[in-house]
Amino acid sequence: MIRHLVALSTAAVLTAAACSKPPAAPAAPAHPNLSGSWVRPLGDRDVGGLPPVNEIPLTPWAAAKFKAERPAAGDNQNFADTTDPSLKYADPNGYPRISLHPMRFKLVQTDDYVYQLWEYNNNWRQIALNVPQDPDPALTWYGNPVGKWEGDTLVVDSVGYKDSTWLDARGLPHTTDLHLVERIHKVGENLAFDITFEDKGAFTKPWTAQLIFKPSPDGSMTENIYTISDELRFRERFLNQKATIPIRR
Amino acid sequence: MRRNLFRVIAGGVAAFLVATSALAHHGAASIYDMSRETTLKATVTEYVWTNPHVEVGVSTSGGTTTELLLELGSPPNIRNRGWTSRTVKPGDVVTVTFHPGLRGMKIGVIMKLVTPDGKELRA
Repeated sequence: MIRHLVALSTAAVLTAAACSKPPAAPAAPAHPNLSGSWVRPLGDRDVGGLPPVNEIPLTPWAAAKFKAERPAAGDNQNFADTTDPSLKYADPNGYPRISLHPMRFKLVQTDDYVYQLWEYNNNWRQIALNVPQDPDPALTWYGNPVGKWEGDTLVVDSVGYKDSTWLDARGLPHTTDLHLVERIHKVGENLAFDITFEDKGAFTKPWTAQLIFKPSPDGSMTENIYTISDELRFRERFLNQKATIPIRR
Repeated sequence: MRRNLFRVIAGGVAAFLVATSALAHHGAASIYDMSRETTLKATVTEYVWTNPHVEVGVSTSGGTTTELLLELGSPPNIRNRGWTSRTVKPGDVVTVTFHPGLRGMKIGVIMKLVTPDGKELRA
């Protein structure tokens, strides 16, 4: 009797083992995972950045506007009497200027969206995936980016930018016709943003730039909110410029 | 010969790195004499971890009143180079190298600082 029970149990175990499939290998991800913390290396020119202004095909309007600006960086800098909207009014940087700081940003990738979270001023943008571009988007500081995957590359199309921002700290202008196409992809362990700039009001033809970011080993992000009071306080202390409004500490 | 060549290259690389980080400051060339470097031993009178740029007040006479106001980068920027909100404190004696202010202004933009325990930090 006992022998029969043992035989039945053994047969049941063997049958179950024969029916169960070996664990399936995890499916390869459909797209590379770009999530993580990224930081711009020091020394823009050796790792790629916006080209020298004389290599950018400015329209006469853009050339005149650029010449008239008084930035706090570049060859024409005049910090004390700047026209930089991000210093004079603490306006958001806009894009891609915000990515040019040597500070971190974080990419958070989901099935429907990719979020880019910048440490600078705690600003962020949302890239909606696999949706058509809005033909008449509201004008915003960071535009209306939509993206789709082409193999290992995330292609981001964006329009709808307010024209009050500068493309970089040198004062490079644009209009509300600004259209950016970004191809975001890995280059070794780094992340590359190949950006094509189109803007019939500011540029006589499309031009490109590549921004390179390296992984940031420290993934933590600090609160780094810059206010007009911060700027006024700095000017008061370092330049003896009297603030025209009360400075909030 | 090879050693001298290495020194020249290393010096050039170091100068590039210092120039690159210092140029990250807004308006640096219109406020500071970027062609001059000053190094001095001084007592920290204040250390303000703030935007847009971290401020370091120092006294060269050992007092508690700020005689020279120096700036660093923004907090997240210099955090990437090892600085924290507690790197120095009032009363610390440091050796600091900076580009001095133009037109005799008692300000400067820090290139490097050696803390009381001998740690050298670049801006």
